[in-house]
Amino acid sequence: MAQPQDSKRRINDKDAPLIEAINAGDTDRFYELVQRYQQPLFNFGLRICGQAADAEDMVQDTFLNVFRYLKTFRFESQFKNWLYRIAMSVCIKRRRRSKYAPERELSLEDFLPGDEQVAAEAPAWAREPLDRLLDEELTRRIEDAILALPETYRPVLVLRDLEGFSTEETAQILNLTPGNVKVRLHRARLFIREQLKEYFAHDRSRPA
Amino acid sequence: MTGADPPEHDPAHCREMFSHLSEYLDRELDEIACRQIERHLRHCDACRACCATLARTVALCQGMPPHAVPGDMAVRLREAIEKLRAGDRPAPAPHSD
Repeated sequence: MAQPQDSKRRINDKDAPLIEAINAGDTDRFYELVQRYQQPLFNFGLRICGQAADAEDMVQDTFLNVFRYLKTFRFESQFKNWLYRIAMSVCIKRRRRSKYAPERELSLEDFLPGDEQVAAEAPAWAREPLDRLLDEELTRRIEDAILALPETYRPVLVLRDLEGFSTEETAQILNLTPGNVKVRLHRARLFIREQLKEYFAHDRSRPA
Repeated sequence: MTGADPPEHDPAHCREMFSHLSEYLDRELDEIACRQIERHLRHCDACRACCATLARTVALCQGMPPHAVPGDMAVRLREAIEKLRAGDRPAPAPHSD
């Protein structure tokens, strides 16, 4: 027997009971949603905008929009994905209001391995235990490298590798095709890798 | 990716393998494509080094510690939401006395 369209499309979401309660009138519980997502959203904003004040503004605008439009949420995607979609559109609107670095294309050719002699073994920084490697200095360098990524690529890398969204979810949040997400992610990772190579070759203050 | 077995150091083949390294690391390729890349990596030092450093780059990004939310952000956020909620509520009924 055919199911009603709504129940067919509706997906499992751990936030659903809370959203239903809020939409049924228990609006005090909206703060539980805020509590659940304010930290990841703030971090997302910080990775995208670079400034704590901008990230905070983005979080506030996002939650205000969620409060206004929560009743229109149809559970056709995870609430979290919808939330990040709103956050991303807030970021885009804010970006239009301010000056940003010019957009540029990252070409795969720029990152292809050259003809130089390559050691048979991977460099030390690829073999060192992660917890010994990722100190404050390196964390800062990675944050700078992410902020140096052109705008086309940065949200893809942040959503996939820092926020843990899948390719399909990232595509949905950014309104891209999954193929496009994969291409941008690969180039973004290669860009970060170049910055890390430079850092480990010249700037690392202690041997890796 | 094609099923043929081209020479391992053919630049076009190298470029093709290189362009799929992230999908390989993310396990988004089918088994045949994975085997092709693994065969290429066994013979190509440059792509092998690239794959190792790319994998490490991804792991470092994934391991980035989160920033703490500014202490007073929650207060400001609550104030903004309350203001919006107050706007949504119907105006209080006039006094009946």
